[in-house]
Amino acid sequence: MKNGLILFLGVFATMVLSWAGVVLAANKQIGTLPQFKDPVDESLNPQPYSGVANQGRAVYQDLGCATCHTQQIRYGDDGADIKRGWGERASYVRDYLRDETTHIGQSRLGPDLRNLAKRLPSGAEAEYLYKLLYAPDSKLGGEPLARGMPAYRFLFEERAITGNQPSYKAIKLPSSHAAPAGFEIVPTPRAEALVAYLRSLADTYDYPTERGLNAPAEVPKEGGKEAPKEGGKEAPKGGGH
Amino acid sequence: MNSTEQNARAEQREIDASVKWPVLVFLGSGLLWLLLGGVFQLAATIQLHTPTFLADCAWFTHGRLAPAAQNALVYGWGMNAAFAFGLWLMARLSATTLRHGGWLFVAAKFWNLGITLGIGGILAGYSTSFELLEMPRYVGLLLLVAYAIIGVWMVTTFSIRNTENVYASQWYLFGAAFWFPWLYSIAQMMLIRTPVRGVLQAVVNAWYLQGLYGLWFASIALAAIYYFLPKLLGKPIHNYYLAPLAFWWFVVATALAGGSRLIGAPVPVWIPTFGIVASMMLALPLIIFCLNFLGTLAGRYGAVGGSLSLRFMVLSIAGFLLSSALGLLLSLRGFAAIAQFTLLAGLRDWLMFYACFSTAVFGAAYFFLPRVTGKQWRSTALIQAHFGATALGIVLMIVCLGAAGWQQGHLLNDPAVKFAEITRGLAGWHTFTSAVLGVLLIGHVAFLINFIWIACPINSQGTAAAQIAPPPALGLAAKEGHA
Repeated sequence: MKNGLILFLGVFATMVLSWAGVVLAANKQIGTLPQFKDPVDESLNPQPYSGVANQGRAVYQDLGCATCHTQQIRYGDDGADIKRGWGERASYVRDYLRDETTHIGQSRLGPDLRNLAKRLPSGAEAEYLYKLLYAPDSKLGGEPLARGMPAYRFLFEERAITGNQPSYKAIKLPSSHAAPAGFEIVPTPRAEALVAYLRSLADTYDYPTERGLNAPAEVPKEGGKEAPKEGGKEAPKGGGH
Repeated sequence: MNSTEQNARAEQREIDASVKWPVLVFLGSGLLWLLLGGVFQLAATIQLHTPTFLADCAWFTHGRLAPAAQNALVYGWGMNAAFAFGLWLMARLSATTLRHGGWLFVAAKFWNLGITLGIGGILAGYSTSFELLEMPRYVGLLLLVAYAIIGVWMVTTFSIRNTENVYASQWYLFGAAFWFPWLYSIAQMMLIRTPVRGVLQAVVNAWYLQGLYGLWFASIALAAIYYFLPKLLGKPIHNYYLAPLAFWWFVVATALAGGSRLIGAPVPVWIPTFGIVASMMLALPLIIFCLNFLGTLAGRYGAVGGSLSLRFMVLSIAGFLLSSALGLLLSLRGFAAIAQFTLLAGLRDWLMFYACFSTAVFGAAYFFLPRVTGKQWRSTALIQAHFGATALGIVLMIVCLGAAGWQQGHLLNDPAVKFAEITRGLAGWHTFTSAVLGVLLIGHVAFLINFIWIACPINSQGTAAAQIAPPPALGLAAKEGHA
């Protein structure tokens, strides 16, 4: 190879091929995917995050939670994601339409969080999450709440109790981690946003049109590029619990 | 020595002198980042077994410190080192001096300013959380402008070449010079300026990562290996005629293999499938690389011990082959089901970046620094320490992350094992990793000290002017000219 021009054209073609073949083709297929309108109750799915939860997504992003946590459930054959109870079904492309920034993650030093909201103790979700963030080493039945997870105390404020009772926002802590007498631990707005986000992490709607899209390739016909099998064999379940 | 050879040697000295300052500035800043990134990485790994370590400071929470370390290493050390080595090798192989090198100082300033702002941004909470694109959006343009100057210098040096032939190393350097800015600007556009929706972001991110490791870092390392093996062994590359085939096949397949990082991910299934096919296609260039490199080394392993640069190159070849083999394994669905999301998956990129690329640059630096500065290395002990720490660190890291990741993957796939048990099981391995990172850090400090001695214009006391032995004569066919 002596000719610089041919080298350049080849180098350029490689990049174009790779960009068009992987990124652009994917964009063509799913770049304009709309929300799914439920034929029964006419709800649009996935439903967007609330404003506070969306702020919490930004906190999740800036704290780099995705360094140790994934947000994706793989199909049954790929690992034990479903058996571990991290989700009832594999994640679909459409589930992520509500995520302004998508962090599916590449490391599972911590558990998957895609459906965290479904695993929280019912009735005490926020309380549990605040305790988890402030004192992950506090004991629950002899075991730390989350082994190996760092505490996020900088998301909380320790302040003197004003008046004769603690603020309604003050978090409940076991005696090992409680604030000194006369003080209370209160979540900052960032902690509140993060908890709102974590509480809304759940893919509750099962899209009938979506199932084939990223299912394992049983019939290898250029990999599911075609429209997924329609026909609504199973009626969509209602959104939410 | 006849007069042609003397002329060639004088020409080389002139070329080396012209790249001296740009090379020293890039490599020097790179080494500072290598040290800082190494310290960050060590701290972040300590946090994995001692979660209270630095946890109360928002700036150093693990989720920020780990990406900051990774970015400091990849963009601070990796890119700076690649610039230093790439500019030198391009000038050498193109048999032309580096012109108007002053502009490269401007580029170096802006590049390092960009990285500093970027790392600060990650620690301060402006991270984008996209792997290796975490630096906040204001940094992207700065880095691209700085890179543009460096890339233009690399390409113009190539285009004013005084050689008839274009050698394999030049293909890789030339290609890399174009691929990085394209990859980076597209990723910036599609993820940060005008973000695509939903999981497409993950697709773009995987595509970028694949390109950065495979088309940039691997290319620079391959350029080094193709250059130094024949140079130091005094024999041409074995089966060189296959090298162009390997080049094109390798770059096209690598560029298309990004999807293999998304096995099982919530993306249309053709994306990982296509990536798997492209990954498998990499088997052919790997065989050619083996023929080229191992064939050249065959029968000359005795010579390896005698040359420091060669020893590093052998490490680099091993790192490249291991990383590629691991990449092939990770694109098998059965293997991925276990190894995905574990420390073992991280080992692939670490091997490519550290065991392959960084060792190649170390080896090259031991060769070109005495030539561009005209001085000799001052401390042999520090050189030995550096090589020893690097070799030991790489072997231990492979054992550690390999075993830990394999165990982690099996435990993750057993739903009967509680998650806390997995974390408990990994704690010991994280401690081991911290120790290995410490060993590597010692090597880097040794190299930095030697670098300061050889690069510093003052304090040259005790640094003898280098008497560089001419490399062994190349029994080359005329068409494989080496500058």
